Amino acid sequence: MSKQIKIAIAESSDVIRAGVISILKRMNSQILFFEIKNFQQLRQSVAHHNFDILILNPILTGFSSPQQLKKEIIKSGGIKIIALQSVLCENSLLSQYDESISIFDSSEQIISKLKKAISSPDTDISTECLSSREKEIVGLVVKGLSNKQIAQKLNLSIHTVITHRRNISTKLDIHSTSGLTIYAIVNKLIEIDDINKND
Amino acid sequence: MKKLMTYTPTHKMSDLATQHFRILLVLNRFGIGLGFGEKTIAEVCKENNVDVATFLAVANMLVKDDDIAEETILNISPEALITYLQRSHEYFLEFRLPEIRQGLENVLTERKNDLNNAVLNYFDEYVEEVRKHMMYEETKVFPYIRELIEGKNNRKYNIDIFRRHHDQVEYRLKEFKQILIKYYPAKGSNELNNVLFDIFNCEYDLASHNKIENQLLIPSILKLEQKNRLRDEQTN
Repeated sequence: MSKQIKIAIAESSDVIRAGVISILKRMNSQILFFEIKNFQQLRQSVAHHNFDILILNPILTGFSSPQQLKKEIIKSGGIKIIALQSVLCENSLLSQYDESISIFDSSEQIISKLKKAISSPDTDISTECLSSREKEIVGLVVKGLSNKQIAQKLNLSIHTVITHRRNISTKLDIHSTSGLTIYAIVNKLIEIDDINKND
Repeated sequence: MKKLMTYTPTHKMSDLATQHFRILLVLNRFGIGLGFGEKTIAEVCKENNVDVATFLAVANMLVKDDDIAEETILNISPEALITYLQRSHEYFLEFRLPEIRQGLENVLTERKNDLNNAVLNYFDEYVEEVRKHMMYEETKVFPYIRELIEGKNNRKYNIDIFRRHHDQVEYRLKEFKQILIKYYPAKGSNELNNVLFDIFNCEYDLASHNKIENQLLIPSILKLEQKNRLRDEQTN
């Protein structure tokens, strides 16, 4: 059974949004759509949801680059941003997006671009082993320390700790503390007494 | 992939159930026993007081991974569907997950150590999460739907709130499976494999359970909300 895909469509025109959704519904996958009408909503939505794909009209963000968006408001890794082009845009901007579709593309073109974007792997984080810093953090998470406590202990900013934790989750594909505990015990990252102390 | 057929009320129930063994679970949840002889799907449903359109919507969804036709949604009885979903919750919480827990315990207790405790602990936390997820539906979503069916319009809640927050409950089971396969340092054994197969099956069942909620329940409730709203507008 295929995984559900969360797609957000950020476009101010109701007609275009509805049109894009109706085309994407023809794809044979489980898609959960989120409609975003303006920049304000975009900000809120990305804070609350982990979208797999954001289809975005560059007009909505005043033509800022996708990298800038990822850095400033989206922050969650793994999201793919697709430009939805309704007016002429500079090619240099469009090429920074993971993909771009135009409102004059045919349904088939749009679907095939979407499929390509969904299946292309994330490029930023490879599934290699954890770095020694990351191992250290796993040990502390399993001991029950909060992000803030870990940051203090290792002299890092909380933001860095969160980034490390996100990378750990991506590399190991483990997203819960109890899962990390198993990993830590197997890989001897912690002394057994450490966990028992917190019981 | 070969094109699978869509079942209709005049197909034989025995054909459906023998060709797709997962339908056995569906039959059970609709309260339909085995031994249908040559009866059609419509006949068996009628005998068991089951809404045939709802039964077929669920069965066809399991059999083929296709888009759901508008017509299918319109014919679903929300009442029948939530009864089905409730039975399915019962199945996971009272039968399936405890059974996997038992199997895990049997495999793991050969060596009682901290790793095994951590594994069981993981599973228990997961079950608790599933319970919360399902209890939310039982105490919040289903009562809301029953009110809608009675024609009441609760303005504080709507099915879109549920749609937005409905997470994939099978996701962590997938993670658990991966952890066991990737990290659990055990010699492969028939017993451990048994538990893993149970987990695969349960993950699949939970995913299709979720799919029924996302693709049948939510759209049919959206329609019901629309209908009620329209009626309210006309009477005002």
